[in-house]
Amino acid sequence: MSTAEAHDDGGRTAAVVPSRPRHAGEAYRTAPDATESTMASQTAQAQQTIKVPSPAGGRKRRGVNREGLEAGKRSTRTILWILLAASLILYGFPFLYLLLTSFKTPIDTIAVPPTVLPREWTLLNYVNALGRSGVLASFINSTQTAVISTALSLILAVPAAYGITRYKTRSGRVFIMAALVTRMVPPVAIGIPLASMMASVGLSDTPIALSIAHTTISLPLSIWLMSSFFEAVPQDLEEAATVDGCSRLGALWRVVIPVVSGGIAVTAIFAFLASWNEFLFALLMTAVRSQTTPVVIANFQTQFGLDWGSMTALAAVYSIPVIILTLLLQRKIVAGMTLGAVKG
Amino acid sequence: MSSRNRISKLATIGGLCTAVALVATGCGAGGPTSTDGAGSSSINVLVEAGGHAELQPIADQCKKDTGVNVNFVELPYDGLFNRLSSEFSSGTVSFDVAALDSVWLPSFKDALQPIDELFTDEAKKDIFPALVKEANVDGHFIGMPAWTNAEIVLYRKDLFEDAKNKADFKAKYGYELAAPKTWQQYQDISAFFTKDGMFGTDVKGGVETEYLTHVLQAGSPMVLDSNNNVVIDNAAHKQALDFYTSLVKDAPAGAAQVDWAAAQNLFNQGKTAMTQFWAHAYRQIPKDSPVYGKVGTAPMIGGSAGVAGVPGPWYLSVPKATKNADAAKKFVRCAFDHNDLAIQSDLGLAARISAFQKYQDQPGYESFKPLIETLNAPGTATRPATAKWQQIVDTVLVPMLQKAVAGGDSASLLADAKTKIQALIK
Repeated sequence: MSTAEAHDDGGRTAAVVPSRPRHAGEAYRTAPDATESTMASQTAQAQQTIKVPSPAGGRKRRGVNREGLEAGKRSTRTILWILLAASLILYGFPFLYLLLTSFKTPIDTIAVPPTVLPREWTLLNYVNALGRSGVLASFINSTQTAVISTALSLILAVPAAYGITRYKTRSGRVFIMAALVTRMVPPVAIGIPLASMMASVGLSDTPIALSIAHTTISLPLSIWLMSSFFEAVPQDLEEAATVDGCSRLGALWRVVIPVVSGGIAVTAIFAFLASWNEFLFALLMTAVRSQTTPVVIANFQTQFGLDWGSMTALAAVYSIPVIILTLLLQRKIVAGMTLGAVKG
Repeated sequence: MSSRNRISKLATIGGLCTAVALVATGCGAGGPTSTDGAGSSSINVLVEAGGHAELQPIADQCKKDTGVNVNFVELPYDGLFNRLSSEFSSGTVSFDVAALDSVWLPSFKDALQPIDELFTDEAKKDIFPALVKEANVDGHFIGMPAWTNAEIVLYRKDLFEDAKNKADFKAKYGYELAAPKTWQQYQDISAFFTKDGMFGTDVKGGVETEYLTHVLQAGSPMVLDSNNNVVIDNAAHKQALDFYTSLVKDAPAGAAQVDWAAAQNLFNQGKTAMTQFWAHAYRQIPKDSPVYGKVGTAPMIGGSAGVAGVPGPWYLSVPKATKNADAAKKFVRCAFDHNDLAIQSDLGLAARISAFQKYQDQPGYESFKPLIETLNAPGTATRPATAKWQQIVDTVLVPMLQKAVAGGDSASLLADAKTKIQALIK
């Protein structure tokens, strides 16, 4: 908050005095008519500031939450809440609708106009979906594939990103850009050649083949993510570790990786999700042994119709492991997301 | 140090999990290997998800009869074509038999083995004529029909038998209310039932088959003639398109977006009094639908050239690249022999005339007589045998229909379609 701007209740922008002492017990605010933004005017306005009791003083400052963070004026907060609610509806409603559809009877699922809540609740869709042959095997295949793909992505992305960020070479910059370019190629363009290659080395219809294919999707993103996390770690830390006797790799393993563990968790989640939900490669490369659940879910849409109930039921069940994983790693993810946010 | 220990533990656990996963990867969880090698009695059958139910009882019987064990590889419709294209182009296939949509046969003809020996005279007599013709590509039979379908007319029997409706209809149109047999009757009945929030029929702007059916009924080959000349701008195509769009006023709004699923939903919800739809839909009406038990069936209607329909068969084909050709052909022959078993599945379709006839008088199979009549009609014909067909449908026919049902001029739309199709097949 050293140079930030805050909003007063009068709806005007108020420059916070830059030289405000920390932990002074009082917060300073400019008068409503202080709208100048230059340092000179700020200094002049500092004389017109009014004293506002701080939370520490026993009285809560307006626009400041319990944690002492400024949340702006009420109208801004209202707008933020509305935006938050809208985002929640935008992202959450499709899943909620999917979940509710999974409890509908066949005729309810195709109602015209559609209904949100089931008129009659049923678990029959879950019985049908989970009783379908190959569903359990597909879950195992999906898990195998996602775990292997995630591990491969991390094993390759962590050292690659570390090298790129620590040895800032021209080839490293070219490499990281090239990694991004691979994301620009339509997956179908590499899916068919990949399927042929895997078949030629005897890996057709195996989770390992699909994992390798999935790694081609997640690896570029993982390298980019890890690079940004490594950038946030001060080099002083590694230098201190080397002074204490660590080798370069030792410093990476003992100092840097624990610091970026949140970032690794975020990268792992992205890599896992990229594999868990991937459809096209699974469609092209799997058959009897290694078919994954997204393909099985798609099989509910046939030339003869679409079994909405069973499809949504299986999709709902399939999303549970990811939800659990995300909740388990929630703290790490938040830590990873904010890693580097205070840098500079 | 505690975080270091934690990291170490996590790394160990992760390593162990990965090792276990990698070991398990050796065989996957789905079953045996894709190809067990030459001479194996186990075969993989690639099938569209809906067709699996049709073939499972047959596979069970064939295992008893021939010892051939079948592993099904199910894929969604769109994905199946991509998968087939991918594997055929690579020259290595993960399956020994594939169930192919009829429109794909010309595209994959070079990758499929001839199975002429299975098409005996006796077999040909038991297959609908249009299907025998379609299975023969460049002088060889490359697919054995597994099941077939065709559009028939489904109508609300309860509404058609209602005394007041019957009297009112006769008073207005001068003839009895009954299942329609001609275009005029279909138009009249559609208009009659379009009232009080209900519609006489649907108009499907999102799919092409129904329009092509009317083209056949008007007496023209579909889109291409026997010499591959584009005939989409002839009088029959215009007549069919004008009839098609004439029904828009008696159909729910948004016809341009209505496809099979939407039309089926509308009918099953009781919003439309009639629909022209694939015959399998009759047995798929949900038990909790307001129209369950109230639906009648009739053959496809007739135009100036009489009754005609477009069959929707699927064929069992054997790829040239399979190492299990003998077992694969054994299964294809067995599947034909026990074709009637497919009728007991939820979808209830077969390919042999005798299979349909065996069930046609049984309750629950009222759609079979109209289906047989439609498939045997002289005007019934399969879609043009060109590898470009799907492209023609997706990029020309469907967009043209969507513009037509939205009020476009039929003559200019057909002329424009002709130019585009000529460019595609050039």
